[in-house]
Amino acid sequence: MGKHIRLGGIRVMKNGLLLFIGIFAAIGLSWAGLALGTNAQLGGLAPYYDQLENRAFPERAPGIASRGKLVYEDLGCASCHTQAVRRPGFGSDQDRKWGDRQSYARDYIHQERVQLGLSRIGPDLTNVGSRLKSPDDVFKLLYHGTAAMPAYAFLFEERPALAQPSPKAVGRSGDREIVPTPRAEVLAAYLLSLNSPADYPVEKAENTMAAVKKEGEHK
Amino acid sequence: MISAPSNVAASETDTTARGPLVLLLVSALGWLLVSGVLALIATIQLHTPGFMAACPWLTYGHTQAVQETAFIYGWAANSAFAVSLWILGRLGGAPLRGLGLLTVGTVFWNLGVTIGIVCIMLGEATAVSFLQIPAYIHPLLLVAYAAIATPGVLAWTGRRQQGTFASQWYAVAALFLFPWLYSAAQMMLLVAPVRGVGQAVVAAWFAQNLLSLWLIPTALAAAYYLVPKLTGRVIANYDFAPHGFWALLFFGAWTGTRHLIGGPVPAWIPTVGIVTTLVLLFHYVIVALNLRAGLGGGRGNVVLGFVSFGLLAYVIGGLLDAIFSFHVFAEVLQFTYFPVAQLKLAVMGAYSFLIFGAIYYLTPRITGVAWPSTSLIRAHFGLAVLGTVVTVVSLAAAGWVQGKGLGDPVMTFASIAAATRPWLLAATAGEAILLFGSIVLTVHFVRLQAATVCPAWGSTSALEASAS
Repeated sequence: MGKHIRLGGIRVMKNGLLLFIGIFAAIGLSWAGLALGTNAQLGGLAPYYDQLENRAFPERAPGIASRGKLVYEDLGCASCHTQAVRRPGFGSDQDRKWGDRQSYARDYIHQERVQLGLSRIGPDLTNVGSRLKSPDDVFKLLYHGTAAMPAYAFLFEERPALAQPSPKAVGRSGDREIVPTPRAEVLAAYLLSLNSPADYPVEKAENTMAAVKKEGEHK
Repeated sequence: MISAPSNVAASETDTTARGPLVLLLVSALGWLLVSGVLALIATIQLHTPGFMAACPWLTYGHTQAVQETAFIYGWAANSAFAVSLWILGRLGGAPLRGLGLLTVGTVFWNLGVTIGIVCIMLGEATAVSFLQIPAYIHPLLLVAYAAIATPGVLAWTGRRQQGTFASQWYAVAALFLFPWLYSAAQMMLLVAPVRGVGQAVVAAWFAQNLLSLWLIPTALAAAYYLVPKLTGRVIANYDFAPHGFWALLFFGAWTGTRHLIGGPVPAWIPTVGIVTTLVLLFHYVIVALNLRAGLGGGRGNVVLGFVSFGLLAYVIGGLLDAIFSFHVFAEVLQFTYFPVAQLKLAVMGAYSFLIFGAIYYLTPRITGVAWPSTSLIRAHFGLAVLGTVVTVVSLAAAGWVQGKGLGDPVMTFASIAAATRPWLLAATAGEAILLFGSIVLTVHFVRLQAATVCPAWGSTSALEASAS
């Protein structure tokens, strides 16, 4: 009985081949448009060479920071932290002192795995290296946690304190002290390395022009 | 063979595939429980960050990644395989072939997912949303998928009727699109990553299409099959159905990048995502029009109740996606719990409910044994509805509070956490109710399987809830 209900008096898409071509066209077009389109536009983006400073920006992260980035990925830090400052007028990113300027595509060209993040349960970390001054600041934050962040005590280890206490120790009880493990050290190096370079002339000029144009429209 | 209750139409088409399909469903339900437990832990960690903090493999980053992986690659994948293969076999008009491959594929798929989840817990996650399983396990999953899909391809190419039905378009699209989507994302994100923020664009494209081009088409295949069957009415305005199908494929595939608004990507990318999200409303209108017989709810028929709630959640979810992709809302709600609530509505409210309906419908048909208890089905329905509504509403409210807090530059993260805490506690309760509902379904499913071995386990009072 079911079959009669199903097929009774209804037009059907008969051509299996056309259906097939359509299905692949759908995914192919969106893939070509978004993935290849972005790559065509941004794939050739080069670092900006600053002649005054004789350096190219963004700079490549030092090796210890690259290792720290792996710890950042392993722990899933991106579940709660973003790494992208939004433009002025869209959210309070710059009022919260997360950066002097918005993040540009150029900032990410050296990153093997871009960690923009989807959630801000904690602050944006694009320029956290300019807010936290020393590894010690990072260790204290990681060891004690905050009201919104758990303590990552497993990144630290307890060992007998020597006569001269370790400068890295985050705590001490009797003759034992708590020191960061190598994972905590590379993670701290990574976080402290996070700091966007000054504005690039190309993006700065484009933004200025866009702002001028907008003003013109209002008049 | 066990004699089937009189009103269970266990045809040869259905019963030959019983073993492999039951294996898929058992795996699916197992993963549903795993992801339910992990989701519960993850929501507790949201309001009590110290929970399990001493355990290196259960940081929030890990529990979140594991619950997402277990849900998508465990529960959703296995159940999608079972439902789409069964529908393709049914509509193909012949028993499924290639069942040996299906069984082997299922075993290896689940092995791959298990290893992947252990690796995530040990700190090997890729940190790419919905693609957290380490790259070296993906080839195993792809090969296993090829084996699993074989009976579907054979059923499609060997179909006995010239014409095709909406269910088949959606099931076939899901079957063929997943491996393309999956291997493209894997190549461009993990094997040979594209440069810079191109990765964010590909990740957004992939995450959305896992839903729009794989899970949702599977769920709609079930809906287009079940609504006429359960209501006894033909699909209304069926002439429009192909338009709805192509709209989902051609526009749905572009909608993912709306989440990148305000990000460091060219402005056209989020704009395309927002525009296609609006255009996609056309698809939701057609689905609602076609399946309106099923939207009315199932008085006395609890299986239709699952389908109705699923369709309602799907259409409402589409409308919310369109509204909240606008600039004014995105500015407040981006990076909050609100998109999490929308995702929950899609994967739990829409996908899972439609699939629950399909499982209740197909299981008696492949096993030849009726569900032992109608009240257990009703209990599951009640718990699942309550759990979904509570979780989605409280996460959405938490997201709104969080978004307002983030917008105020002087509000600290500690005070945002304090302000969202009541809503996150409610979301935890919702997750607990959902988990309890899943336990009811699993116990009931196991009891039905036991009844196929020993009929005394079954019940004679509730012959077949799905056929009533």
